[in-house]
Amino acid sequence: MSSRDPLLPNALIVARREYGERVRSRLFHVSTVLLATLAVLVAFAPLFIRALDSGSVTRVAVIADSPQLSGRTIAILDNILNGALAGDEVRAPFRVEASSDRAASLAALGHTVDSVIVAGRGATGRLSFEFHVGETIGDDRLQQLSIGAFGVAVLDYSANNPSGAFQMPEVQLLRTAIPGGGASLGVADYAGRRIVGIVFVFVIFLTIVIYGMWVAAGVVTEKTSRVMELMISAASARQLVVGKVFGIGLAGLTQYGTILVAAIAALAVEDRLATVLLGPGSTLTPSFAGLTPGLLLAYGGYFVLGFTLYALVYAAAGSLVSRAEDLQVIALPLSLVAIGGYLLSILALTGGTTWFIRLASLIPFWSPFVMLPRLTLGHVESWEVVVSIALLVVAIFATYVVAVRIYAAGVLLYGQRPSLKGLVAATRAAR
Amino acid sequence: MSLVLDSVTKRFGSIVALDQLTFEVPRGQVFGFLGANGAGKTTTMRIALGVLRADSGAIYWNGSPSEALPRRTWGYLPEERGLYPRMTVLEQLVFFGSLYGLPKDVAAREARAWLARFRVPDFADRRADELSKGNQQKVQFLAAILHDPEVLLMDEPFTGLDPVNVALLREAFLELRDRGKTLIFSTHQMEAAEALCESVAIVDRGRVVVGGSLAEVKRSTGRRMVIIGIAGDHQLRWIADVPGARVIRPGIERSEVEVDEGIEPDVVLAAALALGLRVTHFEIADPSLEQVFIDHVGRPVDEDLRLAPAAPGGGSDRRSGGARRRQATAPRADGPAA
Repeated sequence: MSSRDPLLPNALIVARREYGERVRSRLFHVSTVLLATLAVLVAFAPLFIRALDSGSVTRVAVIADSPQLSGRTIAILDNILNGALAGDEVRAPFRVEASSDRAASLAALGHTVDSVIVAGRGATGRLSFEFHVGETIGDDRLQQLSIGAFGVAVLDYSANNPSGAFQMPEVQLLRTAIPGGGASLGVADYAGRRIVGIVFVFVIFLTIVIYGMWVAAGVVTEKTSRVMELMISAASARQLVVGKVFGIGLAGLTQYGTILVAAIAALAVEDRLATVLLGPGSTLTPSFAGLTPGLLLAYGGYFVLGFTLYALVYAAAGSLVSRAEDLQVIALPLSLVAIGGYLLSILALTGGTTWFIRLASLIPFWSPFVMLPRLTLGHVESWEVVVSIALLVVAIFATYVVAVRIYAAGVLLYGQRPSLKGLVAATRAAR
Repeated sequence: MSLVLDSVTKRFGSIVALDQLTFEVPRGQVFGFLGANGAGKTTTMRIALGVLRADSGAIYWNGSPSEALPRRTWGYLPEERGLYPRMTVLEQLVFFGSLYGLPKDVAAREARAWLARFRVPDFADRRADELSKGNQQKVQFLAAILHDPEVLLMDEPFTGLDPVNVALLREAFLELRDRGKTLIFSTHQMEAAEALCESVAIVDRGRVVVGGSLAEVKRSTGRRMVIIGIAGDHQLRWIADVPGARVIRPGIERSEVEVDEGIEPDVVLAAALALGLRVTHFEIADPSLEQVFIDHVGRPVDEDLRLAPAAPGGGSDRRSGGARRRQATAPRADGPAA
């Protein structure tokens, strides 16, 4: 049969029709605008959070190995960080205080203290700063603290009038470790990537399920309108399945791309908007920096593979029912699998890399959802990516073979409740 | 040069849909595939098209097995009609033409030409859901023939069409036949088959019970018919006295009289003349295809389209009353239909 029915050009002709019908529909336009708006809102989330955060006070505890260094560090930091507002405890964004109990201060990190700075002077007179930061400090404040530390070093050098050359201070940032191991990230970077992850995992889940249902609904509509009778005589089952999945997938990619462009544009202007809204120095780079070209490629790749896998099953499912109202029932198990993957991806986004999350990110029906947050947060070994993609590709081919046979049989079944026995018999009868 | 079905068998579980089905359709003929619902007509067409696989046997066109033939060999008009509701007629025709390998411009040109032939050129830019069922059916017919197939398979092509569209379709059939195409259609409508077909096959439960040229099939029962018209007498009660003759279909002008095998039809004319009746018409004819079908299959082709006899005493009181009333007026209704 395949020799008489090469995949092309009929699969492309079917795909072109499916694509045209989808992208011209009002549903497509409305959903694109809604999803793009949603993506922009989520992309701007850090800005909103920062705007809300602009009135808050960052509490810094300074521990130094000499009272002189402690006093100087506090005075300079207060001056640089609070500027004209120094001394105005109500409006000043930073409250810098001395501390003598290192253990107590570190224990209070994230609770009553946002950052602990341990200042020290080496044998050569070089200053060193250890920045301990909790989850309650934003990246812009952290940057301001770093600038402040540099200022302390410069003014300390001037005050001591040393004969030697200026020595850059040694700055060590002790970042919050991510629960469950993996590469550690800065808190703000981590938060930014999480936002990026949430946006795209949400979009990928929504699009895979929506477009998958489009495929199934398209098959049911063709059966309901009985145009399927003409179609199966004009093209083979595999031409129809591939064409439908490809055409609707391309429509999905068009929408996905539109949403992506809107989200990236929002992330790109976020910095400037932050400067305008929150004043100079209020940068939000981490959320955008999280979107590396590699990550974008991964999002595209996992979307294409994930959609193909789900769409093949949705096409087979759609062929088994004759009425649109039955579709929800037959598609429910698949939707539940997708929802399971989505929930696992949310778990992965919270930083968990338990053995179960790692396993789920390799299982074909879940990997498109679960691997993405892991990649976003940088928790993945390269072999895991290779294995997950290889398993996805194998699963797609296996599903394709089964789906085409089910489709060839299913489209001929009218008014019958799909039973496993009936399906097997019909699959044997069909070509 | 013909379409050959060679011992095609197809089972669906315990149901035998086709049982060693064998017949031949000469190239360039209009062929009637006659049978009641469930006789296996659609299954046969689907096997020819490659949608279903035969359990055994094969279908050949010009000596090549159907699986080896390109799809464009066939044109198919399914029994269940359907189009993409939101696509325009021209878009649909170009789409289906493209699937059969027609370049877009050729498909569009052919589509417009055929729409004009069917006297509906303005349909080109109308959406399918704006058309009546009958007009949608015409568009489907065009979708089946646009790529100029060698064999046209049509499942109940006249169902649901008004007389005007039936006439148009018949004309199109004959034109295609004159262009050398082979047309095979299934139908319940025996008059349509008699009017169009050069050869027919009557199928029952997946088997051919009789097949061949229309004349051969009509003579296959050995029955002979007389069509007679008598001035001033349409009841023809005197026929009851003619041995081996009976009125099958009475009419005001002419009536159909069946004559048993071995009885010369002339005896009917002789009896009328002996009674001094004025004979306005006398014709020796073959039995109708419908009668041939009943003779071979044992029931009318459209039996499943008629109400079954009510069960005596069955159902609710109201139903029982209804059944009794029917029995009173139709005493033969208590037995199974012939």
